[in-house]
Amino acid sequence: MSALLSGVGLTAFGKQPGPDSVEWQCAAADLALADAGLDPLEIDTVITGYSTVSPHLMPANVFAERFGLRPATAFGMNVGGATGLAMLANAARLVEAKSATHVLVVAGENRATGQSREASTRTLAQVGHPTYEVPLGANIPAYYALLASQYLWSHGLGPEALAELPVQMRAHASRRLGAQFQKPITVADVLASKPIAEPLRLLDCCPVSDGGAAFVISRAATSDRSLTIAGTGQAHRHQHLSALEPGSTGAGTAAQRALAEADVTWEDVDVFGIYDSFSITLALLVEELGLVPPGRAGAYVRAGAFEVDGRFPTNTHGGLMSYGHCGVGGGMAHLVEVATQLRHERGASQVAGCDVGYVHADGGVLSAHVGVVLRRRGR
Amino acid sequence: MRAPAAALRDWTGGEPRLVLTVCARCGNHWYLPREHCPVCGSDDTDELVAAGAGLCVAVTHVHVTTEAGAAPVWLTLVELDEGPVVMGRASEGLAPGDRARVSFLPDGDGLVPSFTREDDR
Ligand SMILES: [Zn+2]
Repeated sequence: MSALLSGVGLTAFGKQPGPDSVEWQCAAADLALADAGLDPLEIDTVITGYSTVSPHLMPANVFAERFGLRPATAFGMNVGGATGLAMLANAARLVEAKSATHVLVVAGENRATGQSREASTRTLAQVGHPTYEVPLGANIPAYYALLASQYLWSHGLGPEALAELPVQMRAHASRRLGAQFQKPITVADVLASKPIAEPLRLLDCCPVSDGGAAFVISRAATSDRSLTIAGTGQAHRHQHLSALEPGSTGAGTAAQRALAEADVTWEDVDVFGIYDSFSITLALLVEELGLVPPGRAGAYVRAGAFEVDGRFPTNTHGGLMSYGHCGVGGGMAHLVEVATQLRHERGASQVAGCDVGYVHADGGVLSAHVGVVLRRRGR
Repeated sequence: MRAPAAALRDWTGGEPRLVLTVCARCGNHWYLPREHCPVCGSDDTDELVAAGAGLCVAVTHVHVTTEAGAAPVWLTLVELDEGPVVMGRASEGLAPGDRARVSFLPDGDGLVPSFTREDDR
């Protein structure tokens, strides 16, 4: 028996002062419950992502009390950017084991307006090793910049190769309501933007955002819009960049586990949502997944492969780089978008005839990987 | 199991050297402290002081620092001749593809590893 994705909720992302983290979580949860057609009291399990602005020992209990739920099971999870999909994977297992009927998975954060940029960078620097990496002056953009430098050098490429990726994400976001950045950009704009950690520049990096996202995972379909969670797969091979095995980060392993559980191959997948915290993140992931040959992500994007009508329609909401990144909810937006595509509800940006979608998220420095295969029911 | 107190001190403990761990069962090498070999699971390990030279495989000039107003810093990844990849500061001009050698610079109360092009020395 496969679990079903019965509801999704996604707020607009951006600089939206006012709501705190739990209020963004409540807003997203309302959207997901309405989408699933469920009453709050039908939820028996709550899984909540962390907030860096309002860290708490018991985030699921804080959320459940505020939203007005008394679930039988409630817990929080922390695997960085992969948390959203990891929560979904665990929700699916609980449902498959008949330990839950309807699971609400939720995350939200006022990451853009709730803290200073320095505070945000400092919190996120925890991803690095406290004695071997952080004291060098390293932070998250620096780790990814090192990966970008190694990538460009080892493939004999210039920074314009990676700049193609944010340009494509922005083109998608220009056609997606709720995206933080919608004004189209060019490769020249990316290369002229402010240096963050060279070779990465401002437009190679996702912003921080305020917003939230939520899913409902159910044992039975709540409508004919419910989708099948056909397979999930994970891999956790390291935490720190200094322990990363190049070319074998766990991304490919997680994807193969998810595809095998769903009994599909890449040939069967019509639409993609791939984590894109930086241009290099997306390039390394699509290459390790085996969608694109090594060193060729930029060339494929330039040729239109990630467009709505391309071979690998990817992040048609604009991804983290342009829809935005509110923490755990940022990695959940990719799944909301793929679900919308699979329901054939994406309007002018609809991927024609799509039946199977793949979503991938990573946390840390390509440290925690979760892949999810979604499928239209009856396909 | 390697008792942490008995481990060779490295730059993080004020000794100007890079210390690697070698798995006595399968020969795997690594840099960050670990209790077991992630390849074979063994806790039978030996320590090795790295010679301190290798191939620079990545360099970044970090402008966004965690402390407001802090000066930009150069960082590098160097694949040591012994195998493991080590992160360090970099002297300006070091580029991927260069041979690099480590030295240790004072930083606050301690030391940090910093890599320089080998032919600049
Ligand atoms: Zn071993």
